[in-house]
Amino acid sequence: MSRKISLPDFISSFNEAQKEIVESVDVFEDTRASIKAKKDKIIEAAEVIRDEYGFVIPIGGGAIDYPEENRMEMNYYLNNPDSDFIIIYRIPVNREKPVLPSMTQVWEAMSFHERETHEMFGIDFEGHPNLVPLLLPPDWKGGYPLRKDFKGEGVE
Amino acid sequence: MTEPEITPELMRISWGPQHPMSGQTRILLDTDGEKVHRIIADLGFTHRGIEKVLENRSLIGGIVPIDRMAMVDTANISIGYVTAAEKALGLEVPERANWIRSLVCEMSRINSHLYAFGLQAEATGYFPAVFLWTTIDREILLDLFEELTGARWSFNFFLPGGVYKDFPEGFADRVVEGVHYLRNRFKDYWNAMIENPMFEMRCDNVAILEPKDALRLGATGPVLRGSGIPVDMRNEEPYAAYADLDWEIITEDACDVMARTKVRFHEIGQSLNMMEQIAKEIPEGEIKTRFSPFARAPEGEHISRVENGRGEMSTHLWTNGTPNPYRVKILPPSLRNMYVFERLAELSHITVADIPVVINSIDPWYLDADR
Repeated sequence: MSRKISLPDFISSFNEAQKEIVESVDVFEDTRASIKAKKDKIIEAAEVIRDEYGFVIPIGGGAIDYPEENRMEMNYYLNNPDSDFIIIYRIPVNREKPVLPSMTQVWEAMSFHERETHEMFGIDFEGHPNLVPLLLPPDWKGGYPLRKDFKGEGVE
Repeated sequence: MTEPEITPELMRISWGPQHPMSGQTRILLDTDGEKVHRIIADLGFTHRGIEKVLENRSLIGGIVPIDRMAMVDTANISIGYVTAAEKALGLEVPERANWIRSLVCEMSRINSHLYAFGLQAEATGYFPAVFLWTTIDREILLDLFEELTGARWSFNFFLPGGVYKDFPEGFADRVVEGVHYLRNRFKDYWNAMIENPMFEMRCDNVAILEPKDALRLGATGPVLRGSGIPVDMRNEEPYAAYADLDWEIITEDACDVMARTKVRFHEIGQSLNMMEQIAKEIPEGEIKTRFSPFARAPEGEHISRVENGRGEMSTHLWTNGTPNPYRVKILPPSLRNMYVFERLAELSHITVADIPVVINSIDPWYLDADR
């Protein structure tokens, strides 16, 4: 963790070394690397990103909903104090059955962000120590506010 | 929030959301006598659904609600959204506009740190006078804001592609005057707070956050720099005019409440230097790139990262060719630091009497944590 890691170096070494766990690595805006892991290697890839590449700072996480394509996507934002770029770690979510392994086992501080995503999008994070609503009231029954089909009216 | 179970030998104290030292949140403290064993933050009292609101506004219309995220620090909040929006619209910002942006951001940062300072004085309980001093001294900045932007709070001054107005006549001189006045005042603050043995007793070696824990728990801003880790978005991804200004990242190694207070203190001094430099060296030129208010951003995604008074704020903006953004994800600094606060009781010895001091050293702004 002593030298500045640049994005092209990272991409080439990461693509080469992690063929088994990584599905794709894309770059946008020159300083963002978007990584998709293979479906059954989600936690393993996260541990590699943290331990071998030093992305120890969890910036946060959040989801996005694509109802036309019947899918959602969970994004985790990660930073390394010695890099000049950030990683967006993307995990596709099945909209019918939104269950993901919780990333709190790798980055503990994703806890609040997963709780927020849970109440806003209805994604269940398996293995989260305390998956209760963060921002919405405890008796909220109005649906998932940040999904695109949310109408903004409460449900009795 | 559903309250988690409590072990029978501990007592649970509910702190806030009306307590003067809690802000608009509730904190549950599991205590054994004076010692706090566990802190649980109950956020969401000021949740306004800003991310959803932004989906229903045009890109430029989103500037108004986003300003409401943190009233003391509006410039630094809105520059994050505006930078992402201008990336989406493909707009260039003229150099002079960038310098004006940096000036307003630094004034906003001082405003925010002064407020944190005043509250820290209030929390230590010995000198409410300092809270009054900081409140009065913020008037200098608010007057400058009013003169430049037309409003004292929440001025919606930044537009994609530039700023709303140029300096009025003689404004640069008044900025320099204000800087000189505030510099003198900070000597008083230093003596009244940092050098004061009473303040030292309350703040030295309290709530120690080791660098490895600060990184692991996702601390940001003065909390992270107070643990000796030099991460600052103004350096990491220079926006506005920060690449051209003379400044450096301020860190303290003590990792305690005092270190975080000192980081804020030195950052104010540095912001004042930047204000003076901008007032004296600002280049001439245009202040905005014109564009249609109904401009449609092509499909894509853009992330901006800016340094607020409280730490890093990232804005992830997805656009899909309509006038409105498809989704805006805001990652506010206070939410990250509140998680650090929750874990602090396990990392160091905190008593009930320390809680106001500790929470103000984290300096959370619940309106930006809740959005």
